[in-house]
Amino acid sequence: MKIKDHSSRGFNAMKGVLLTILSLLCVLPFVVIVSGSFTSNIEIITNGFSLLPRGFTVEAYKTIFKTPEDILQAYKMNFYYTGIGTALGLVIITLTAYVISRKEFKYRNTVSFLIYFTTIFGGGMIPWYLMYANVLNLRGTTLAIWFPALVTPFLVILMRTFIVGAVPDAVVESAKIDGAGHWRIFWQIVLPVLGPGLATVGLFQALGYWNDWYRSSMFSTSSQTWSLQFYLYDLVNSTQAMRQMAQYANVNTSDLPTQSVKLAMSVVATGPILILYPFVQRYFVSGITVGAVKG
Amino acid sequence: MHVAALGQNSPLNRRSVTRHWSICLAAAISAILLLMLLPVFSWIRLNQTDALFDIMKLKSSAVKKLDSQYSIFTFLSFVQESKQGLLGLWSFVLLLIAAAAAVFHLWGCVLFLLRNKLAEKKGLLAMYSRFQCGMVFSFLLAAGTLGLILFANKNYGLTGFLPGIPVYVSLGFSVVGYLASKRMEKAERIIRRDHGFIEEVRRNWILFLFLIPCFVFFLINNYLPMVGIYFAFTQFNFRDSLFASPYVGFKNFEFLLRSEILHLTTNTILYNLVFIVVGNVLQIFFAILISQVANRHLKKTSQTMIFMPYFVSYVILRVLVFNMFEYDVGLINNFLASIGRGKLDFYNTPAYWPWIITIFYLWKNLGYGMVVYLATITGISSDYYEAAQIDGASIYQQIRYITVPLLKPTFIILLLYALGGIMKGQFELFYQLVGKRHAVQHHRYL
Repeated sequence: MKIKDHSSRGFNAMKGVLLTILSLLCVLPFVVIVSGSFTSNIEIITNGFSLLPRGFTVEAYKTIFKTPEDILQAYKMNFYYTGIGTALGLVIITLTAYVISRKEFKYRNTVSFLIYFTTIFGGGMIPWYLMYANVLNLRGTTLAIWFPALVTPFLVILMRTFIVGAVPDAVVESAKIDGAGHWRIFWQIVLPVLGPGLATVGLFQALGYWNDWYRSSMFSTSSQTWSLQFYLYDLVNSTQAMRQMAQYANVNTSDLPTQSVKLAMSVVATGPILILYPFVQRYFVSGITVGAVKG
Repeated sequence: MHVAALGQNSPLNRRSVTRHWSICLAAAISAILLLMLLPVFSWIRLNQTDALFDIMKLKSSAVKKLDSQYSIFTFLSFVQESKQGLLGLWSFVLLLIAAAAAVFHLWGCVLFLLRNKLAEKKGLLAMYSRFQCGMVFSFLLAAGTLGLILFANKNYGLTGFLPGIPVYVSLGFSVVGYLASKRMEKAERIIRRDHGFIEEVRRNWILFLFLIPCFVFFLINNYLPMVGIYFAFTQFNFRDSLFASPYVGFKNFEFLLRSEILHLTTNTILYNLVFIVVGNVLQIFFAILISQVANRHLKKTSQTMIFMPYFVSYVILRVLVFNMFEYDVGLINNFLASIGRGKLDFYNTPAYWPWIITIFYLWKNLGYGMVVYLATITGISSDYYEAAQIDGASIYQQIRYITVPLLKPTFIILLLYALGGIMKGQFELFYQLVGKRHAVQHHRYL
């Protein structure tokens, strides 16, 4: 839709100005982080943060990559969690969504309700933790970190909407008349046209896994299984980690680039997302659009 | 096919369906089982009490508080008074089953009273399935009670517990009631061309196969932990561990009420209320604003930029907030100092934080909601606006009387999701922005 513009030039200018201000407000904090990561720590302490780097230096990045083992391990774990969680989650979500999209399935409303119900009521954090840590005894394993986020109710509903939109009932009906079973319909009719749905749901899933710090903090027993965000959290939080890092790198603790290292770490941890963001953004928008209009 | 169309002679015409003895029997049994759940009936009786209390090592003061018989709802008080945490989780599960049975029996009985109306419209299948669920839960309850008694007797080494009459009544009657309800259901299914669970599994077994991973996931991740609510009623200790810690009833809740819980609850609700109201108003406002912009380039760029904060983790948000509000080097204090004003000590002044938390919540989530509303606005047919323009409506009037009313369904969907979020309380946001030792830690950061 498009509203024909009868309004004055001033009104148009005001819209532009408002949007520009909001857009800048949304992006400026990132600029502060990036520019801070290229500023020396002394500069930050004496003059504070600023929008543009004063006295450009890559000292902070050097400090980080002088002892790259930890951060590479965290990166590796993050890719592992994101990969396995997205792949497996996508399989489960798609299968479930296919089932509740089939009109001939008698219990589809019951199943949908049981899935939705988990978003409004739950046992709470402690029983959830005890389930994994004490009952299943998964504390310290990587399984405990990727398993609990495999299926999100919102994504199941979103995928169902994608399936309903992509595969008309008539197609499924005619396939059935030709003797195709659910297995065949799923693999040969639904999956081939589900590309955008898989991309969107997969990206939502991957984003959730990439940004997770919570499960690492809950179930990790050693820093070997930390995700990247939790590694960053730990770094931001503990000056102790700083000192250790300085010892390995033979840097004098007094001029340790604490502030700028934190920021450089933030850039390293979010980098892949910010780089990919312009390319994948449209999938998120299309996913939300499908969910909003038809869901 | 309409039921009444079968004619008077058919055994299944409406009148005989609603008065059929089978269905009346099922309803009567359902009512009896519902009555049995009343606390006046004793499900578990104590036997050889002296020897039993001896084994439990109870003092005479504790013995005085104990009865000789308990209903299914009061047995937890026995667990509490006699400090037998071992039986606690089991009796708690029985309590849940009893509650489920009561709900289904009650529901079934209400439908039974309305059966004349129902038979004309949707048929009585809903009633049959409620009855059957109730019967199954009653049966499970009785069997579970027997199991609890056997377990307890074995554990204490004597027949200290005996099942009461309601246990046997439930066990027998639930089977009869189930069969009676099943018999009528079968007949009605033929008319309604409906089929049962087993037939559904036979036809669509592959769909059930598809559901298995999802079922396993939600069982482990969501449904089994719900039973863990029981631990809120125990005094957990490591010696007795999960399954034998003493049951203490509502004592933990008394403690919570004495401490900060009310304050925290109002905080949670107020924060979420502000998030929802202000968040949606801003999202709608900017969605409409973007939809009004003619310049495609500006439209795309601003949408991309506003959506960006949604993609960063809460840990980054923490770094960001720290960079802005830190006392010595923070951006804002830096700016205040440069224009010759005094610095503000944000991290030691709680009064600022409701504002900061709200602003950053809005900052992170504005883009998402905006895209949702924008999608709805894009979907609105342009016919409405053209018609309004012919009638001479101004842009303001078009927004007020066309766009905003049509955004209402989207608002309701977002509201439903947001209400679910209140329970979870935005834990990540608060933990990362405020944390538990945040103020202290960041003040001596070097």
